[in-house]
Amino acid sequence: MFEFSSVDSLKVLSCRTRMTSLPRVLGQEVIAGIFPPTMILFPAVVAQFLTGALFLVGFRRRPNVGAALGLLVLAASAAVVVSRGVGADEPLTETIGWLSTLGFDLAFRLDGFAVLMALIVLVVGFAVLLYSLGYFEHDSTYARFVGLFMAFAGSMTGLVLAADLFTMFVFWELTSICSFLLIGLNDKSESARQSAVRALLTTGAGGLCLLGAVGILQVELGTTAFADLVKLQPVGGVIDAAIVLILLGAFTKSAQFPFHFWLPGAMAAPTPVSAYLHSATMVKAGIVLLARLSPAFGQSNLWRWWVVLAGVATMLIGGWRALRQTDAKLLLAHSTVSQLGLLTVLVGLGWSTALYAGVAHLLAHAVFKVALFLGVGVIDHELGTRDVTKIGTARHRTPLVVVALGAATLSMAGMIPLFGFVTKEKALVALLDAEVGAVGVVALVGVVLGSVLSVAYSVRLLHALVGGADPEPDAGGVDHGGHDPGSPLVRGLLGAPVIAAAAVSLLFGSIAQRVGKWLVSPSTSLDASAKSKLVLWPGINDALVISAIVIVVGSVIGWRAPLAVPPSREKRGSRGERTFDVVYDATLGMAKRLTRITQPGSLPMYVAVTSVIVAAVAAAALIVDGLPAFEGFVSDSPLTIAVTILTIVVSIGVAVVSARFTAAVFLGGVGYGVAVLFLMRGAPDLALTQVLVETLTIVIFLLAMRSMPRSFAPASSWAPAPVRIAVSVAAGVVVPLLVLAVHGARTAPSVAEEYAPRSIDEAGGANLVNVILVDFRGFDTMGEITVLAVAALGVVNLVRVAERHRRVRERTRTAPFRRSAILDELVDRWLSKVAALVALYVTFRGHNAPGGGFAGGLVLGGVFVLQFLTGREPHLRHRPIRRPTTLLGAGLLLALGTTAAPLLVGAAPLESHIWKPHVPLIGEVKIVSSMFFDLGVFMVVVAVVLMMLLSLGARGTSLVGDDGGVAS
Amino acid sequence: MTTVLSLPVLGPLVAAALMIFLRGLAVQRFVSFFALGVSLVASTVTFVNIWDDGVIRVVRMSGWPGSFAITLVADRLSAAMVLVATVVVTIVLAYATGQRAPDERSSFYHPVYMVMAAGISQAFLAGDLFNLFVAFEILLMASYVLLTLEGTNEQIRAGTTYVVLNVLESMILLMAVGLVFAATGTVSMAELPARLAELPDGVRMGLHLLLLVAFGIKAAVFPLFFWLPDSYPTAPSSVSAVFAGLLTKVGVYCLIRTQTLLFPGELSDLVIVIGAATMLVGVLGAISHRDMKRILSFHIVSQIGYMIFGLGIGGVAAIAATIFYLIHHIPVKTSLFLVEGIVARDSGSSSSEEVSGLARRSPILAALFLVPALSLAGLPPFSGFLAKFAIVRAGVSDAQWIGIAVALVVSLLTLVSMVKIWVGVFWGDVSPVEKASIPGVLRHQKTMGVSTGAIVLFSLAIAFAAGPLYEFATKAAEQLLDVAGYVAAVRSS
Repeated sequence: MFEFSSVDSLKVLSCRTRMTSLPRVLGQEVIAGIFPPTMILFPAVVAQFLTGALFLVGFRRRPNVGAALGLLVLAASAAVVVSRGVGADEPLTETIGWLSTLGFDLAFRLDGFAVLMALIVLVVGFAVLLYSLGYFEHDSTYARFVGLFMAFAGSMTGLVLAADLFTMFVFWELTSICSFLLIGLNDKSESARQSAVRALLTTGAGGLCLLGAVGILQVELGTTAFADLVKLQPVGGVIDAAIVLILLGAFTKSAQFPFHFWLPGAMAAPTPVSAYLHSATMVKAGIVLLARLSPAFGQSNLWRWWVVLAGVATMLIGGWRALRQTDAKLLLAHSTVSQLGLLTVLVGLGWSTALYAGVAHLLAHAVFKVALFLGVGVIDHELGTRDVTKIGTARHRTPLVVVALGAATLSMAGMIPLFGFVTKEKALVALLDAEVGAVGVVALVGVVLGSVLSVAYSVRLLHALVGGADPEPDAGGVDHGGHDPGSPLVRGLLGAPVIAAAAVSLLFGSIAQRVGKWLVSPSTSLDASAKSKLVLWPGINDALVISAIVIVVGSVIGWRAPLAVPPSREKRGSRGERTFDVVYDATLGMAKRLTRITQPGSLPMYVAVTSVIVAAVAAAALIVDGLPAFEGFVSDSPLTIAVTILTIVVSIGVAVVSARFTAAVFLGGVGYGVAVLFLMRGAPDLALTQVLVETLTIVIFLLAMRSMPRSFAPASSWAPAPVRIAVSVAAGVVVPLLVLAVHGARTAPSVAEEYAPRSIDEAGGANLVNVILVDFRGFDTMGEITVLAVAALGVVNLVRVAERHRRVRERTRTAPFRRSAILDELVDRWLSKVAALVALYVTFRGHNAPGGGFAGGLVLGGVFVLQFLTGREPHLRHRPIRRPTTLLGAGLLLALGTTAAPLLVGAAPLESHIWKPHVPLIGEVKIVSSMFFDLGVFMVVVAVVLMMLLSLGARGTSLVGDDGGVAS
Repeated sequence: MTTVLSLPVLGPLVAAALMIFLRGLAVQRFVSFFALGVSLVASTVTFVNIWDDGVIRVVRMSGWPGSFAITLVADRLSAAMVLVATVVVTIVLAYATGQRAPDERSSFYHPVYMVMAAGISQAFLAGDLFNLFVAFEILLMASYVLLTLEGTNEQIRAGTTYVVLNVLESMILLMAVGLVFAATGTVSMAELPARLAELPDGVRMGLHLLLLVAFGIKAAVFPLFFWLPDSYPTAPSSVSAVFAGLLTKVGVYCLIRTQTLLFPGELSDLVIVIGAATMLVGVLGAISHRDMKRILSFHIVSQIGYMIFGLGIGGVAAIAATIFYLIHHIPVKTSLFLVEGIVARDSGSSSSEEVSGLARRSPILAALFLVPALSLAGLPPFSGFLAKFAIVRAGVSDAQWIGIAVALVVSLLTLVSMVKIWVGVFWGDVSPVEKASIPGVLRHQKTMGVSTGAIVLFSLAIAFAAGPLYEFATKAAEQLLDVAGYVAAVRSS
């Protein structure tokens, strides 16, 4: 449940969820809590999500309406941010209780930095969405784009408004998911799919690192709120682990070395996606994280060195790669990587002026890069190509856009009077002043070299824009990609955001001082001491001299750099991408090999592993306690010992023989042996039941075996015979030892001692075994007859299915049983009737003497077996109940009825009742309600035997169809 | 209260018995839904009551004293599990009726399905170790039948593995229960804690380990999980959805009872290692396959690992996280199998080698997959994120660094396999199978779609209501750790 509070209304809404009654929780707190009138930040985020969701699953025919609604929502959200965030004395905070027990609450805080970032997200989003209206004209994926775009905007807004690391993580992962889906917008393209996966898994891995860090901070510090962390200045121990994890998260997200490879690949996405996610906003998430936390961790050398080394490496690699691209969009992508490196160094260094410069450059970069991406998109739209050797012709077709592109490029290069110059200058000044030791020197040198490269690739782009060939005579038909420049409206929608963004670059440069004042609030909200200012013309100082040198050197490199670079390895993916693929494939390969070991598909081996584990368990117990004493167990009578040994020998026989028939008979022998032991131990009920069950089981085995090969399949070869024998012997020897040990450990009295005194008086039965079955543990019996019934249904079903498949029929026909004429009369006419009476007698007397429903059912079942074996397939039409399933259902219902009936009078299930009615001539009769239960058991047992016999013993389909009675 | 508590067990059983007579499909459907409706109401009443007062409810079978009667015991955990199970069973049955598959048309399907529902409820409520074994038998026997209902060669082959290993598990469990009785003279779970504590170390450890093995096979933990990925993929989707969502969770539930009630906190290091290994081995199996159902089957194993890991850590925080994980995971896993069923029914396969481009044809189906898939991978804002993070948090508190690292890596690999399914099945060119049904996949499978949607909404509701639910889980964990409270409640009932 979400629970809401905000500073404005903390008292009114301090409805911390209590463990109140569930209906109340659901009724009041949820419904009343959804959007209290004072909540504003979270609803703005949610509104963006909802717009997205709405157009993802519905309204897919009207994506333009979706875009219009999206524009409205973005504008409204921006208005909210401005009205509540700009000039507020105290930042607006909101907390949405989610899983408060663990502190998993969504906390938002609209401080200066959040305002700046939210405005970048919302305003750039607005511009890009507008642009997309023209870009996606007639494209079937537009609805999907609009939906995902709005969902992303919501995630990103939430991310930048987050007041703590937990909240940021939640939205962080959401942006990763949206990015994945957006990169794969053109999911028919193999490379788009691959790039999407690489991006998701790289940022996802980083996200998990971040999650680990959140966990550590929550447990160690009890908070992840940025404000608290800055106050605490945590250091040392586990915190260092958290720092590394946080940095990994930030570096993967913001494409820092060595995780920079995913970003250029993400350019497989359409231009609006690249401009918005992979340049202006999402890739800045890592920077936002560093900016929020460098005031807290920036004093740690671990943090500083990681940040500076990663940032400098990224700057240089990105800049160098940008110089070598022929696709203008990829050039921009690599330049984004490079610029992100610069931002990482500035905001991560933990030096307040650098932080201020970083915030300023973040703004500058967002503005000029969105202009560049969208502008290149326009050229692509016009010409159908983004090749830097060809885009020169664009200036004849869209001169305004090309001019805007040029201005934005100059800003990227850091040329006066554009905003990029102001911020880069500030960065140099800050780094020159930074007193952070060796790491500062590395940072400064890195930034200078990086700036040279960024001037160089900017100049190269300019070169491409102005230096390309004049339009060819047939320039009108240059539409390689089949792009139609489209209506003036479309061209206006495409061009306007580019021109506007470039104009902003120029404007901000010219009013640099004022912009600088605006940026004080964002910076001080991160670090109170990060108060500084911006100027367009700083006067001659060290930084300006360096800048001048940088520009000259960079321009020379850029102008001399060849436009057409010979196709290199880049075609086969960058080294980073290939490394990713190698790791990915290796992981999959390793998984496959390991799974072949853990999951070989050999049933005997599975059984063996399980047996070994059980044996090991027993052995472990014996090792701890020592071997049990044997005295009490070997002093039995010689006869018992003889039977035991015989039983063991026969059971070994079961495992050794190869013929199924023999094995089944031996198995029966084991059962009879155990029955004899029961008898010797004074359990006639058990012995009787055991003998009957064994008999039935053998018969059923034999019936089933008619359709099986005579011998077992050769022993499986999962291991050599000695190993297999060793496993069996180990399990067979160790487990009985455990049994002995356990028996020796008993000290407490058995619960059975409570049964005996209660049996006659309270349960109304003298046969304790039976009373246990139908009363003390009657509920177990209820369950077991259910199991029997389901088993019978399963057998009938399988046989029926097999017959339908006509696989078994041929073979079953070949093995009919011979009739025995002599027994016919006896068996058919008399035996079954007598047997039924006997069985009922056994059932009813069971409560007081050996017998009961189980035994009775088995007696009758045994007679049926006899009938069957003498060739009289049980012709049930001679009996009152023709369908055994009917008997089954009736038996179950009777037992269940006896179980449930006491509920009607408020007693416990199965609670027995004793009636003593006076019957004329006989006198008082004692009737215990559990007798009905036992009768149900009897019926189920009989039915199960019949169903097994009839379906397994069927010669053809007819018997089951007629008497199995289970036709669908 | 007695009636209300017994209904989730007795209701479906009566329905099953009735349906042996009532063979018409329409009648059977009516009876099934009626019975499940009754169970649903009953389990909701129990849950709401226990939410309010936390009092443990006990039904003493045959009215004998609590110390030796078979009991049904509903504490917070049991009540929640029964409710969630009933909801899932009901929704999946609705799905099955819409599937128009041969198995649901069989006159055996409904009665056997009801028996399974009863068995699941009984397992969650059993207050008696032997009765718990019986409950296992009930749901296992029903699952054997459901798994082989169509009787295709593949089903029989996979069914053999399933049946043999589960029968082996039943034997081990029966042996364990028998030995527990031999050593203590009782099988009442309220009487056992005191008596088990008096046993010599070795015997106690042996019994404990035997129970862990038996329940571990059922829960499919490493190294005893092999039966699961070999058998689930061949079952009809509606059946494997219930198996996946619920049956392994019965095993986990029993492991929780073992570790909190019978042997509180013992062998916890072993349990932690098993949990971590289960996570890892399961997910490695998942990423090495391409067939949706196989991937999902291996994920059952992997996800169980998280719960076992949390259980091993122990203490209120970790057990609460485990309970929350357990409950959240049921609808998530079930809905993924249900989506797979829709895909397979539409395209005749759910392997990414044969199906592709489904997102274009049915964005709603894609969303129905994506939400639980991301939840499974533990991404926010879905329930899986909260559950996984709660486990990680508990691990951090206990300084289980290796376990946490495994949990996070496994989480990434889970994402890998979900992305594999997404990229393979939902993205790309629309596969040529049955072009006729383009564009709507769900148009012809409305009931299946609505049922799947319902269960996805259920899982979203868990994420939304995580606050109160987690407090409930915490209180449930406190109740689990209060062994004396359990014993007193059963004895005095």
